[in-house]
Amino acid sequence: MRASLWLRTAYARMWVRTKSIYGEPLWVVVTIGFPLFTSMALSLLYKSSNASQFTGFAILGGVMISFWGNVLWSMASQFMWDKQAGLFEVYITSPAPISAILVGMSLGGVLGTAPSAALVALIGWALFNPAISPAWPAVLVVFTLTLASLYAMGMALSSLYLVYGREADSINEALHEPVSFLSGVYFPQQMLNFPAAVQIAASLIPLTIGMDALRRTLFSGEGLQQISFHIGVLALMAAVLLVLSQKMLKLLEERGRRAGTISVRIR
Amino acid sequence: MASAWAGWQRDFGWTNPIAGLSLKTIGPIASVLTASTVYWLGSSAARSFDPTNLAYILVGAALYAHVAAYSWVPSLAITEGKWSNVFTQVYISPKSSPPYLAGRCLASFATSAITSGGSLVGASVISIYLFNTGLPFVLTPVSIGLLVVALVVNIFASMGLGFLLSAYTIFATKFEWALPVYVSGLLMVFSGALFPVTLLPWPVSAVADVLPFTEFIRAARVALIAGYPGSFWYYLGLSFVGGLVFLVLGLAAYAAAEHRARRLGVVDRKAV
Repeated sequence: MRASLWLRTAYARMWVRTKSIYGEPLWVVVTIGFPLFTSMALSLLYKSSNASQFTGFAILGGVMISFWGNVLWSMASQFMWDKQAGLFEVYITSPAPISAILVGMSLGGVLGTAPSAALVALIGWALFNPAISPAWPAVLVVFTLTLASLYAMGMALSSLYLVYGREADSINEALHEPVSFLSGVYFPQQMLNFPAAVQIAASLIPLTIGMDALRRTLFSGEGLQQISFHIGVLALMAAVLLVLSQKMLKLLEERGRRAGTISVRIR
Repeated sequence: MASAWAGWQRDFGWTNPIAGLSLKTIGPIASVLTASTVYWLGSSAARSFDPTNLAYILVGAALYAHVAAYSWVPSLAITEGKWSNVFTQVYISPKSSPPYLAGRCLASFATSAITSGGSLVGASVISIYLFNTGLPFVLTPVSIGLLVVALVVNIFASMGLGFLLSAYTIFATKFEWALPVYVSGLLMVFSGALFPVTLLPWPVSAVADVLPFTEFIRAARVALIAGYPGSFWYYLGLSFVGGLVFLVLGLAAYAAAEHRARRLGVVDRKAV
């Protein structure tokens, strides 16, 4: 019964998110803007630096930044907006498990972001035609695990954002670019002379490990065996972040109930 | 002045100005560093790394972000204002919405000038460390003064762009929050921020070449980078003239849009 409720809740939340995106084709136009322009500009920058062989890094970065943007703006901040709209109180007073709502939201987010990410890839490849040497099974495994760990991070952040008000937007804006830079979304980050502490901090972001593994599998043809370490770390990160998000949500929900802040609305 | 103050309060009322400015500077620093890293990686692989080009990218990346950060604020003021009913109050008083939008834009200009200056300095220092190179910047009172003049002159073009966007936003009920992304993206590609506009296909390159934002960034480069070719006053003059054209067009479009919006009663229309 409980498993059935969990699955039905996850499906319902996923359906709502997917329907809201596919039911409004303008969504693709909206979500494709940032990743497309950034990957185009950086591809042209690689080209103007006489390094056309790296334009694939910029296009791959554009694809993955679509998902990172979705995690930040539509996962991490979602409960904060739901709280403002009065929806969060419905969630916690209903028997629907919060974890199922989060997982459904993630799956819907992935499905909803996929069209714009695919378009960035298609347009980028059509315009710049970068050389690739893919090991597709490894690419698929790494891509899936990167998204799993990234969205698990979004779930963990969503509990933190519950305690924020309008400062959440500023925090999102402050996080978006630094995480993209530290993770090396558009370039191999290991080539930079980062201090050890920064390197360690960057390694704790799933996107860092995921981007490195994706570049290896997509451009250098490395297979599952060569990137087994990356796969292990990404799987571990996804599991740990998932558990962490559950604990944090429980804690903050409890705190919100006691302090009476869960039903605070802006309007 | 009241609108500018309201804009400042909107940005920093929830925290202290130092924390607010720091949060607004971290993102642009990372964005400028991303562009400079891409150049460093590409040019190092091609054995064509040149510190002057790195300085070119640092200035361009910091300044296009500056323009993007405040040119969409009039549009934001309408979107937020519709939602919170502030714009409705502004709108019902006669001829007050253009000054209100201009004030919000100026407040954001002040914030963005500080944060983009901070991002240029921060990204330059980090680039020197990361790429182990010097940068041919000219940092004298005169060069910094010229940069400030260029920033002020560019207000005309940015505000004009802001009014043009507002002419659309006044009718929009959904997705208008996506506008800044497009403004920022278009400026990144078409203002010569990261690479010469000649790299773009014709006729796009011809249009990009005469945009006031392109001329503004060129003028700033002449002021800040040692040996950068061209005349500061020539580029600034072009930026000024282009800016005036943008402002006149923007105000005319906004006035027409506002007139139509009043007749159709769309300001209270909300998306649910």
